[in-house]
Amino acid sequence: MSRSQPAAGQAGAVPAPRRRASLRPWRRAIVGGAIVATIMLVAIFAPLLAPYDPNEQDLLNQLLPPVWAGGNWDHPLGTDNLGRDTLSRLIYGSRVAMIVAVAAASGALVLGTALAIVAGYFGGIVDWIVSRLVELWLCFPPVVLSLILIVGFGVGLRNVILAIILVDWTRFCRVVRAEVLVVRRNDYIDAARLAGFSHWRTIRREVLPAVAPLILTILSLEMGIAVIVEAILSFVGMSVESTIPAWGVMIADARKDMYQAVWGLVLPILAIIVTVLGFNLLGDGLRRALDPKLRQRVIQ
Amino acid sequence: MSGGVLGVALRRIGVSLPLVFLVSVLVFVVLRLIPADPVAMSVPPNATRAEIEALRAEMGLTLPIHEQFWIWFAKAAGADFGKSIAFAQPVSRLIGQALPATIELVVVAAVFATIIGLAGGLLMYRVAGGRGEAASDLASTLIMSIPEFLWAIFFILLFGVALNILPFTGRLDAGITVGRITGFLLVDTLIQGRFGAFLNALSHLLLPSMSLALGTAPLLMRVLRSSLMEVGNEDYMMMARLRGFSERRVLVHHAFKNAFLPTLNLMGVQFSFLFGGTLLVEVIYSYPGLGSLMVQAVANTDLPVIQGVALVYAVAVLLINLGVDLAALMLNPKLRIAK
Amino acid sequence: MKALLEIQGVVVTAPVGGGRVAVLRDIDLSVKPGGVLGLVGESGAGKSMIGRLVGGVLPPAFRVDRGAMIFAERDLIGMPAAERRGLLGREIGFIPQQPMTSLNPVRNVGSLFDEHLAKLGVAGRAERRAQAVAALEAVHLPEPASLLGRYAHELSGGMCQRVLIAMAFASRPKLLVADEPTTALDVITQARIVALLGDLCRQYGTAVLFVTHDLRLAAQICDEIAVMYAGEVVERAPARDLLSTPRHPYSQALRSCSPSLDGPLARLVSLPEHMPGLGALAGMAGCRFAPRCPIADHRCAGHAPPLAENAPGRWVRAAGQCLSAALPARGDVPHGKGDAEGGGRLALAAEGLHKTFVSRHPLLFWKKRRVDAVKNVSFRLRAGEFLGIVGQSGSGKSTVARMLLGLEVPSAGRIALDGADVTGRFSAHAAERTKRIQMIFQDPQSALNPRRRVASIVTQPMEVVGRSAWPERLARAKKLLAETGLAPEMAERFPAQLSGGQRQRVNIARSLCNTPRVLVADEIVSGLDVSVQAQILNLLADLRDHHEIALVLISHDLSVVRYLCDRVIVMYRGEAVEEGETEAVFRSPRHWYTKALLAAVPPDDVNHVWDPHTASSALSRLDPAIES
Repeated sequence: MSRSQPAAGQAGAVPAPRRRASLRPWRRAIVGGAIVATIMLVAIFAPLLAPYDPNEQDLLNQLLPPVWAGGNWDHPLGTDNLGRDTLSRLIYGSRVAMIVAVAAASGALVLGTALAIVAGYFGGIVDWIVSRLVELWLCFPPVVLSLILIVGFGVGLRNVILAIILVDWTRFCRVVRAEVLVVRRNDYIDAARLAGFSHWRTIRREVLPAVAPLILTILSLEMGIAVIVEAILSFVGMSVESTIPAWGVMIADARKDMYQAVWGLVLPILAIIVTVLGFNLLGDGLRRALDPKLRQRVIQ
Repeated sequence: MSGGVLGVALRRIGVSLPLVFLVSVLVFVVLRLIPADPVAMSVPPNATRAEIEALRAEMGLTLPIHEQFWIWFAKAAGADFGKSIAFAQPVSRLIGQALPATIELVVVAAVFATIIGLAGGLLMYRVAGGRGEAASDLASTLIMSIPEFLWAIFFILLFGVALNILPFTGRLDAGITVGRITGFLLVDTLIQGRFGAFLNALSHLLLPSMSLALGTAPLLMRVLRSSLMEVGNEDYMMMARLRGFSERRVLVHHAFKNAFLPTLNLMGVQFSFLFGGTLLVEVIYSYPGLGSLMVQAVANTDLPVIQGVALVYAVAVLLINLGVDLAALMLNPKLRIAK
Repeated sequence: MKALLEIQGVVVTAPVGGGRVAVLRDIDLSVKPGGVLGLVGESGAGKSMIGRLVGGVLPPAFRVDRGAMIFAERDLIGMPAAERRGLLGREIGFIPQQPMTSLNPVRNVGSLFDEHLAKLGVAGRAERRAQAVAALEAVHLPEPASLLGRYAHELSGGMCQRVLIAMAFASRPKLLVADEPTTALDVITQARIVALLGDLCRQYGTAVLFVTHDLRLAAQICDEIAVMYAGEVVERAPARDLLSTPRHPYSQALRSCSPSLDGPLARLVSLPEHMPGLGALAGMAGCRFAPRCPIADHRCAGHAPPLAENAPGRWVRAAGQCLSAALPARGDVPHGKGDAEGGGRLALAAEGLHKTFVSRHPLLFWKKRRVDAVKNVSFRLRAGEFLGIVGQSGSGKSTVARMLLGLEVPSAGRIALDGADVTGRFSAHAAERTKRIQMIFQDPQSALNPRRRVASIVTQPMEVVGRSAWPERLARAKKLLAETGLAPEMAERFPAQLSGGQRQRVNIARSLCNTPRVLVADEIVSGLDVSVQAQILNLLADLRDHHEIALVLISHDLSVVRYLCDRVIVMYRGEAVEEGETEAVFRSPRHWYTKALLAAVPPDDVNHVWDPHTASSALSRLDPAIES
C-alpha cells in the first residue's frame, strides 16, 4: 500500500552522483585494525623482537620492577618470580593469543555460518534441528563448556582451538541465521531462482554477499572473545603446555606475588585488554562502515 | 488471558525437560573422550592389576557405554552424582555446600548488572546525537573489552591491595562464623539477627559481584540504547504526542516497556554468561562456590564432580532462561497467543 | 463565518547541505467550523507535513520560519508547548495513517483509553471505563467491554482505526486531522471508515483536515480541496469544481493520470520524472512544477508565482500559460480489446489450483496447522491477453501468482505453459519455466539486489545460460533499458541511486530479459504515486503493442485492472467468485462481493453521488463475518 512520506525530501531517491569516498566512517575500524596489525606483527616476529628466551630463568634477578618503577634497562618491563624477562614473555605470549584468535574464530565462522545458511535458507526440518542444537549448546555457560571439552580432549594448542570452535560456533550460527532469514524474505532471492539460478548459486551470489558484512563483524568480535577464552583457560592451567608462554599463565603466576610485584600482574592484563579492544574496535568499525543498516544494531 | 500465559509457560517448561536430558548426554559423552584413566588416579600407585579391575567394576566402567550412561542418569535424576575421587565425599554434598554461595553471588551481580545496564542505557540514549555520543560509545567499547576476571583482578589490586578498604577473600572474615540454615549468608545472618555479620558478608560480595556486573552490563546498555532509538520512530509514539502527552510521559509510559523487551531477551543470554563468569571470579576471590569446586575438580580430573557440576550449571542456565521467558511473556502480549 | 483554523503564510524549512530549504512554502489555508478541507497530493507534496505542523511534531531540525496558525483565535505557533499539548487530544484530534502500529503494542485498549480519559480530566477509574465502553459502542465496535482487554495485534486494521476514532471523539474535538486514514485499509473497510467519520463529524460539528492522495475520494467527502505539490498549495477550489474542472496543470494531470472505474477509457496522462526531493528543491527559484509541466514556458522560471483568486472561491498558483492553455490531448483507448478472444495460442493454463499451507509449531515440529489459501482456481490465458486477478489482501491472489511461477508447489491442480506441463517443484522444470514465464515483483526495493548494478540485474538470467560475456550482457542491458524507457547510463547505477518509478522499470526490464511469453505482475503499482503509476501502466500497455506478451496482473485496485485487462477474475477467501470480460463484469457484476468492491470505489463523475454507507452496508448484510 502506498505510504506517504512525512518529509518532502524523502520522495523518491535523489539520483545521487557517486559519493565521495570518505574515511570518516572507517576511522574506528582503522584504529582497531592498526592495533590488531601491530600485535600480529609482534607475534610473527617474536624471535627477532624479544630480548631474551621467554623461558630463560635468571634466579639472581627475580621480580624486578619495570624501568619506570625503579628497574633497569636490562629488563625494561621487569622479571617474574623465576627471573624470566616479562617483555620477552609478553612478546611470545602474543603468539598463542593470535594463533588461537585466528584459527578458532575462523573455524567457528566456517562451522557456524555453514549451518546458519543451510538452516536459514532452506528452513523446515533442517532449520528446526539446527535451532534446537544451538539451544542445547546455549544451556552451558561458554567457559564451563570449554573447560569440559578441554578435560575431554586434554591440553595443547590444537585442542584449545578445537574447544573454542566447538563452543563458539553458535555465536555465528544464531546471528547469521537470523540475518539469512531476513535476506531470504527479499524478492531478489526469488528473482534469482526465476532467472534460473540453482540453490547453490543463489546462496553464493545473492545470500552470502548480503550477510558478508555481518560475518566479518562477528569474526572480528569473536577473535577478541577467543583471546579472552584462551586467557581464562591458561589462567586455570588448562590451555597450552607449561613450556609455552601465554598471557593467562603470566597472570596466574604473577597473582601469587601481587603484593611485591604489581606490574607483573598489570602488564599481561593490559596486553589482553589492548588486544581485545583492538578486535572490538575493528568489529564495531566494520559494522558501522560496511552496512549503514547495521549501524544501530548491537551484535551479541 | 491468564489461561494463555499458563499454557504457554507450561509448554515452555515441557520443552526444557528434553533439553536437560540432552545436556546430560552431551556431558557424559564428552567426558568419556578423556584420555586419562579416572581409575588410575584414584588408586595408590602400587595397586595391583586385580585391584584396579575390581575398582573398574565397582565404578561400572566395564559395562557398555550406554548402560553406564543410563545408570549414571538414573542416579543423577535423584541428585546422586556418585562420589568424588579427590574429596572422597558424595558429589551431591559438595554441590549442596557450594551452590548457595554461587547463587547468592549471581543474584547480587545480576541486580548490579541490571541497574548499571538500564541506567547506562538511558544515559547513552540521552547523550545520543550530541557531543557525548562518541565518548559514551568509546567508553562502552572499552568496558566491553574487559572480561569479568580481569575486572576481578583490577578490583583486588585497587580496593584490596592499594586502598585496602574492601575484603577480597572468601565469604566472611576469618573470625566470623554463621550457623547454616539456608546456606545463603545474607539470609542466614538476617534470620539470626546478626547485622554485623550481614554487613561483613555483603562487603565480601561487593567486589566479586561488581566484577561480574561490569562484565555483563555494557551489552545491556547498548541494546537498551538502540531499542529506545528504534522505538522513538514508531507510529504509536507519534500518536501519543499527538494526543497531547508530555515527552516525559511518552518516554516512560509508551517507549520504555517496548524498548525493554529486547533488553530482557538479551538478559537471558547475559545472565547465563554471568553464571559462567562466576567460575574464574570465584577462584580469584577464593570464594567457596561451584566455580571453585569445578576448577579444583578439573585440576584433579575428578570426573564425578565435573559431571555433576556441569549438569547443575546447565540446569541453572535453563532455569534463568525460563524465568526470562516467563517475564517476557508477562510483558509482551504478542507472545501470549497459544500457537 | 469565522475560520476555525487559519494557516497564514507559513514557511517551514529544513537543513539541506549548508543552507535551509523551504519544505512548506507560503501555505495559506483555512478550515471553517464543521467544514471539511481536503489536502490532496502525492507523497512528498508536504500534505502530511501540514498535519504534523498542526500537531507541533515536525521532524527534528525542521522549523517554522514565518507565518501564523490561528486556531480558535489563538496562534498555535507562538503558544507555549504545554498550552498546545492541552489542546491536542482535546480540541484537536488526530487519526493516523497506520492504525495498527499507532496503538502501543504492549498496552491494551482499556489502558490506552483510561490514560486518554484521565488526561481529559475524567475522574474515577470506573467512570472512565464506562465512558470508554460507550465511546467504543458509538463507533460500532462489537462487544466493547471485552475489547478493553485486547491488544492491537489481536485486532484488524479497521478495528484499530475505529478504536483511534473513538479516542479522538471522546473529547468532541472542534478539529480533526485525518492523515490518510484509510490508505492502509482495503477498499471496503475504507468506505466504512469514511462513512463513520462523516457521521461523527456531522453529529458533533467537528471540522476536518482530510489528507489523502485520492482526488476522487476527496471530491466526494470534502467541501473544499487544496492540491499540493512540492511543499506548495497549487490550487484551492470547492471540492466538486476541482474534480470536474481542475485548472492548474498539476491538478489536471493528477485527475487524468489515474484510471477510473467509469467513463470512457483514454490513455493516461503521464508526467515525466517524479516530484523533486528535498535536495532538488534548493535550486528551484520559480514554479516547482515547471520541470515536469507539459506547458511550461520561460515565464515559469525566475520567481515563484503567487496563489491568486481568479474566480470566486478558486485560487490557482499560476504563471505562464497555466490558465490559457490546456494539457495536450490524450490518446485513445490504449489497447485494442476484442482480438483477445480471437483464438490466439494458449500461453498458460491453470486447472483446479489448490494450495494448503501447513505451518509448524515453533518448538514441536510434528504439530501442524493447515490453512487453505487457494481453493480450486482455474483459468486460461492466450498469447497477448491481459488477465486481471482482483481481491483484498489475504484473498489468495498472490499465492496464485507464486504457484504460476513455481515459487510455491500447488497442493492440487495442474499448470501448463505453452502446452507443457510444469506442475510441481520449480527445479523440476526450471529451464522450461525461466524461458516462458517471468515475474514482476511488487516491491522493487526488495526485488533488486542492492549490491548489483542495474546492468547486472536486468541481465541476470544470462548469468546461467551459457555464461555470456560482459560486453554481450551490457549490450542486452541497454536494449532492455531503452525498451522500458530508461536512459542507457542507468546501466552503471545501483538500485539505491534510482527513484521508485525507475526501480520499477528496472524490475520490468529484468522480467523481459528472456523474452518470456507470460508475465505475472503482483501489485506492481500499489507502492507508487499516481503520476508514476501512470508511467508504468502505459509502459505495460505499450509492451503489449510491441510484443505478443500475455500478462497476469494481480491488483487490489479495480481501476488499474479495468485500464489494462481484457478479462478479470475476482477472488474472495481463496476462491474465484466471478470471472469474465472486464467491461462486462464491472458494468453488471453478479456476485455480491464484486458488487461491494465496485460500490466501495468513489466515482470519477462528480455528479454521480457516492454514499459510503450503501457501499459498506450492502456487504455487511450479505456477509456479517467480514471485518468491520
